[in-house]
Amino acid sequence: MTRRTFNPGRALAWVAMAVVIVVTVFPFWWMVRTALTPAADIYTDNASLLPEHPTLINFLRVLGLTTEAEARAAGGSGAHLDFAGYLWNSIVYCGLIAAVQTLFCAMAGYAFARLRFPGRDLVFAIVIAALMVPPIFTLLPNFILVKDLGWMNTMAGMVAPTILMTPFAVFFLRQFFLSLPRDVEEAAILDGNGPWGIFWRIALPMSRGPLITIGLTTTVWAWKDYLWPLLVGRDEENRLVTVALGVFLQQSPNTQPDWTGLMAASTLSVLPVLLLLVFVGKRLVQSLNFTGSK
Amino acid sequence: MSSTKPRDDRRAAWLFLLPVLVGFAVFYGYPAARGVWYSVTDYNMLNTATYVGAENYTKLLRDEQFWNAMLVTAWYVVLNIGSQTLLALGIASLMHRLTRSVVLRATLLLPWLVPNVTIGLLWMWLLDTNLGFVNQLLHTVGVGPVGFFTDETWAMPTVAGINTWAYTGYTALLLYAGMLQIPQYLYEGASIDGAGEWRMFRRITLPLLRPVLALVLVVSLIGSFQIFDTIAVTTKGGPVSATQVIYYFIYLQAFKYFHLGYAAAAAVFLALILGVLTAIQMRLLRASRSDLA
Amino acid sequence: MIRTSRVGAALLTLAVAAGLAACGSTEEEPGAAVTLDYWLWDDNQKASYQQCADEFTKANPNITIKISQAAWNEYWQNLTTQIAAGDAPDVWTNQGSYYPQFVSSGQILDIQPYVTADKVDLSQYQGGLADLFTKGDQRFGLPKDWDTMALVYNTEHLKAQGIDAASLANLTWNPTDGGTFEQLIAKATVDEKGRNGLDPAFDKTKVKVFGYLPEWADGSQGQNGWGNLAASNGFTYLDKNPWGTQYKYDDPKLAQTIDWFKSLSAKGYAPALDKASTLSRDSLLNAGKGAITFAGSWMINSYLGEGAKLKFAFAPLPAGPQGRKTAINGLSDAIWAGTKHKDEAWKWVKFLGSADCQNIVGGNGVVFPAIKTASEKALAAHTAKGRDVKVFVDEAAAPGGTFFVPITEHGNEVSQLVQDAIQSAILGQSDSATALKKANDQVNALFK
Repeated sequence: MTRRTFNPGRALAWVAMAVVIVVTVFPFWWMVRTALTPAADIYTDNASLLPEHPTLINFLRVLGLTTEAEARAAGGSGAHLDFAGYLWNSIVYCGLIAAVQTLFCAMAGYAFARLRFPGRDLVFAIVIAALMVPPIFTLLPNFILVKDLGWMNTMAGMVAPTILMTPFAVFFLRQFFLSLPRDVEEAAILDGNGPWGIFWRIALPMSRGPLITIGLTTTVWAWKDYLWPLLVGRDEENRLVTVALGVFLQQSPNTQPDWTGLMAASTLSVLPVLLLLVFVGKRLVQSLNFTGSK
Repeated sequence: MSSTKPRDDRRAAWLFLLPVLVGFAVFYGYPAARGVWYSVTDYNMLNTATYVGAENYTKLLRDEQFWNAMLVTAWYVVLNIGSQTLLALGIASLMHRLTRSVVLRATLLLPWLVPNVTIGLLWMWLLDTNLGFVNQLLHTVGVGPVGFFTDETWAMPTVAGINTWAYTGYTALLLYAGMLQIPQYLYEGASIDGAGEWRMFRRITLPLLRPVLALVLVVSLIGSFQIFDTIAVTTKGGPVSATQVIYYFIYLQAFKYFHLGYAAAAAVFLALILGVLTAIQMRLLRASRSDLA
Repeated sequence: MIRTSRVGAALLTLAVAAGLAACGSTEEEPGAAVTLDYWLWDDNQKASYQQCADEFTKANPNITIKISQAAWNEYWQNLTTQIAAGDAPDVWTNQGSYYPQFVSSGQILDIQPYVTADKVDLSQYQGGLADLFTKGDQRFGLPKDWDTMALVYNTEHLKAQGIDAASLANLTWNPTDGGTFEQLIAKATVDEKGRNGLDPAFDKTKVKVFGYLPEWADGSQGQNGWGNLAASNGFTYLDKNPWGTQYKYDDPKLAQTIDWFKSLSAKGYAPALDKASTLSRDSLLNAGKGAITFAGSWMINSYLGEGAKLKFAFAPLPAGPQGRKTAINGLSDAIWAGTKHKDEAWKWVKFLGSADCQNIVGGNGVVFPAIKTASEKALAAHTAKGRDVKVFVDEAAAPGGTFFVPITEHGNEVSQLVQDAIQSAILGQSDSATALKKANDQVNALFK
């Protein structure tokens, strides 16, 4: 942090970073740019970085702030989204999954990394093997289960398959608990802590970084979930933001999606998670700086 | 058993594992077991499954489309692991050693936040042969047009490129989280000893990152074998079957042709291959050991 | 309160998943109000059917219709999953490629007894449509709408090329020299220097506007292109339709047709497949990158809608050696065999298939309803908006001028096999005759 002298290696590294950023951001910009383009211009105005006639109409119609006739004139189907309602559903959905799943997977990850019991590696291997089960095979049995439980069109049915665990989160947290220094743990045992005490008072606080990372990761994945919530939570009152994007997709064969509406709605759907990322990211850096300086 | 052994936490361990094991059994184990059962039946989703022995498997081994799918998938895996994982490692190191800016990190994660249904469509729009911005750009420099999705040679690299765009930031984030676990004093010490960045990367970052690197490699490998979304939206397996990856093959068999038994056999086959590859990776990377602990 | 109960319900997941709660399903008491689930995929038509549903509920106060709409791909995946799980919608919209599978697995209710009992007039529908949804003496749906094909062209571009719009009314086509249709396409093709395709100096490597835009992702039916021309060349898809079991894709008349399309790309009149756009053809026409293509009547609003920047018009398909042939296709409404409310579902399907509902749909001018008089309403609605779409109706009514796209089992598999074969022929991986012969053998093997 104190070296500020010019260093060709660092300059080169910054150049590489800049290239990466441009490649990363450009397509994203194209999404926003398309959202700002009037539907009528979409096929002709596609060679410049900025739209010729920028407009907010697509955002307005997606949010339902236009009349149906105006929305149709702007290239939409007249469908509008109850964005606030979907947003709330998405927040509940992601919040539940992220919080509960992270806790349970941390417990399991810790057990696999640090506790000693017969069959540990075998059980771990079996749980990890779940990564290889194709989601299209879990779709039908899970759907039947949720239906038999009477959870169709409920939040319970929507979160059920992912709230307890994902193999990835278990794997991720186990790998991080593996690298916790053992000496701290030994000291805690000498202080008379049991496994739960060590996990709760030592392991979890020391793994704030990985926990926040996996919590964020889980939130974003849950935010983007599409097929399952579409199947189980199709009704208006349970609809998630991404599920609502379906109205902008290709409605019948040989037709095209509602490009400008889709891009506007997608842009809106990115904003909440982006804010979360920046906000939590700031705290994450602070907390890491804290542990890093020990 | 032996009271001389240092510790046995089995009672606590099973309690720690309980919720995860329940979730595993109900939402993964049971469906997987059903899948294995379907693979030896003539199940078509709408009938009662009847046992047919190894018929699906023998048919699979003779199916040209299946082998083509395996080959195409292997090509994708090479392209994707090559670009996405290496790039992510590079970006994570840059983030780690260069800057800790949150805005920068969020920027790199932007593509990952774009809904899956939008990613494929966005790129179809950008890369279209006639109307896409990229081809317009190529045209002004006198190249093209390139049929990114319709030219057999380009289709698969294009799909790999799109997924690299969409998920590199995320992979980098995971690696970066691993790098942050590495104590800062190790770098400071090495720096005082006059070690350059490259040397520190090889001697400190890579070895200490091993558990996380192993995780990322294993998950990326399995994930890239399961590539589906982007293909379903953009090329639909075409042109002809140049991008008909194994997962798309399974999807077609299951949901379009209603050969669920056959699709299950292909899935079991795929899972076996992945299992072997994962086991090899874990062994090679000594994934369960950390040099830190 | 809803919020807390939702959170509570989610937490309950844990308890139940752990096996603490038993599963139970709710049974409805008889005689109570009934809600029917009705599914469709086209968001543009949802409003029309909502109107129908409201009318229906007015007449049958104890039956409420709950309409669910999902985009095309998701629609079929969800429908299949829900049928497999024994929890399908009571009534849903069917289309040819999936419907046979549901019929042969006994998922669709045979409505012939109802049709007989209620004396539904089947002659009110556009010719032959009602028979598409029969198998033996059984009937699996009432027709709701139909579509035919026409040429769509960029009027200003053609005028600028000195082409008289009236000349498009009587185009001819043959697989050897393409007839006046190919002449038209050549004239409409323009290179970057402004020369058209008939000009000896025409540069086929630098084409600015393609005369014709082909559709190569067109399944086994070629509804958006080759199917119509092959049929006008004397090609028939299969031994009988619906429910044939012997396809004839190895017919040389089809291979000739494909070769003619291929020659268009070779001459620079149409984009080659490996340089083709993946966006829909109407996007390219709207961008002025193409002049002419085939359009289905379901695309009318895309071409003639208020938003369109360029002016388009429709013309009849060219007449081939066997005359002018257009594919005609129709959708139907089906009742799930497992529904708890068969009688109510039939009432709704009967209403959907009646003039009362189809006039509403026709009046909104989105699709052509199956009932002839309702089709005329749709035509009138279009005319009132200043859209000339008579060609679709005329073609549908022309004796011997239509053919039904095949409805058989294994529809999706046949589709993939034939589409791949045609693409490989177009890409030059194989010649058309060989590729189609091989695909035909594979297709027919499915029925053994």
